[in-house]
Amino acid sequence: MATRHLIIGGGTAGMNAMRTIREEEREPSEITLVSAERPYSRMVLPYYLDKTIAESHVFTASAAQLAKWNVKTYIGRRASGLDVKANVCTLDDGTRLEYDDCLIATGSSAVRAPVAGADLPGVHSFWTLDEARGVIGSISRGTHVVMVGAGFISFTILNSILSLGARLTIVELAPRILPRMVDDAGAELVASWLKAHGVTIRTNVKLTRIEDAKGKKRLKFSTGPEIVCDAVIMATGIRTNLEWLKDSGINIRQGIVVDEHLRSNVPNVYAAGDVAEGRDLISGAAAVHAIEPTAQEHGRVVGSNMAGKNVGYKGSLIINIVEVCHLDAASFGAWDDAKVETISALKKDRNAYRKLLFTGDRLTGAIIIGRSNDIWTTNDVGMLKGLVQTGVSLGRFKDYLKSNPFDVKTAFIASKTTSTLLPETVLGRPSKAPGESPVAV
Amino acid sequence: MRVLKITPERCTGCLRCEIACSYMQTGTYQPAKSVIRVSPFEGHTSYAPYTCTQCAEGWCMTACPVGAITINIAGAKDVLDDKCVGCKLCTIACPYGTVFYDTGTRKAFKCNLCGGDPACAHACPTAAIEYEDVATADWLGDFARERATHVLAMAGGR
Repeated sequence: MATRHLIIGGGTAGMNAMRTIREEEREPSEITLVSAERPYSRMVLPYYLDKTIAESHVFTASAAQLAKWNVKTYIGRRASGLDVKANVCTLDDGTRLEYDDCLIATGSSAVRAPVAGADLPGVHSFWTLDEARGVIGSISRGTHVVMVGAGFISFTILNSILSLGARLTIVELAPRILPRMVDDAGAELVASWLKAHGVTIRTNVKLTRIEDAKGKKRLKFSTGPEIVCDAVIMATGIRTNLEWLKDSGINIRQGIVVDEHLRSNVPNVYAAGDVAEGRDLISGAAAVHAIEPTAQEHGRVVGSNMAGKNVGYKGSLIINIVEVCHLDAASFGAWDDAKVETISALKKDRNAYRKLLFTGDRLTGAIIIGRSNDIWTTNDVGMLKGLVQTGVSLGRFKDYLKSNPFDVKTAFIASKTTSTLLPETVLGRPSKAPGESPVAV
Repeated sequence: MRVLKITPERCTGCLRCEIACSYMQTGTYQPAKSVIRVSPFEGHTSYAPYTCTQCAEGWCMTACPVGAITINIAGAKDVLDDKCVGCKLCTIACPYGTVFYDTGTRKAFKCNLCGGDPACAHACPTAAIEYEDVATADWLGDFARERATHVLAMAGGR
């Protein structure tokens, strides 16, 4: 009998797993997908919001594509329970799905600040496609938008909101913006850049209440003046969708604890993406990395293992980039490690900032900020990732980088980073193009 | 597969490759739009061109959330403009630093080997860039290491 793979979650991890199963398997298997939503990419929703792409562009698999992959789908359904002894997943409509192995890739959901009025009409989250539709309907030229939370998610839609002609105020509980993506000095540079581009930022403020005010919204804070605006977007964090596994016997800490093959404590149950607590490439410790590239790599590794290969995973690297008003901010690896040797440099006139973190003579973390059209930024951003990813021994070039943090290329090339990188692949073989996924016969 | 074989010792720093590349890729003579980039070494006594290795993993291709990077007939990773939304994930996923973002078109761009007839190799007057059926390699590593003594001395290195 053909192996029955059950994929729970149609996001980046689930889609990559299914594609890789079809790429790798020697004998045809059955794939069943359970997905609360029709598969789409969250990464591109900001471009749907600013109307540079049509809604149809966000979808990652059409019904025809899924049929070509021979995937049986339960779209619009959610998994509600997993019986790991009987190998059965129960759905919210009572459907029971038997499996031989299963992938849990149920992702995260947006969480709103726990304040009165957070659920009023006109108060939005921006996480799912449905939520994006709601935001689009509420913004037009001249709309005053207040974004609650100054983290990565809110910054990914900042350009879109401005390009629609809206006025933007950002309020943040923490003393500064982007608390989980850049350090204090980097945040200060980005904040002053945004202020110069007409964005109002208020940090260190606690939202206490949202009220209706004659078709507008009134926001009250524990300190400082209230704000009256047209629309509120809550970007106050995400939570992994794991409640449904509470009594399943799956070992969950911050996420589902997985081994180097991305298996949970139950060997035929895998986890990937936001819900998986897997190895961090830099520290080697278990961590949840709720970022797109981790979901993609996890998904491919799981797909390969489900197809019978034996692929170990070295670990995922934190990488983030966001562009606001043509200023790029990116960070890599352990950029906030306070225990290691650090060099930082600011060129204020060029709006450029670097922070490099060294463990011994290896680069283990980096922050880079600069204008999107500045060659310093565009030439170095990928090479910093390469240095952190490979952990090449920099030798004498460590001192060089410390005195010349804006000249990464010399150190990158002369440390022979390319030699280390060329044999590296995630699945132990060259990657295939996205359209090139044969259905096993 | 044919690749761009770089022999850095032959490079004179004339920048014809950058000009040819930008013209082929964008129809303009704009080295800023070139995806092969010449760097100086040893205080401008040496130069070498650097570009995408068309690596086996294809970090840019696997990272793309919308499948906008594919493999073209030359075997090169190639950005499909009508699919690219400009999210920049490929520019930080590429550990070689050879995927760029065009602020004008708001798309990513990179070396696609000109579809199998690379303009840089044609333009290079000293055969520092050749298009050959060899395994791709770290063409610049040893050269750069040897030629970096000057910058290291300036930096106070050992």
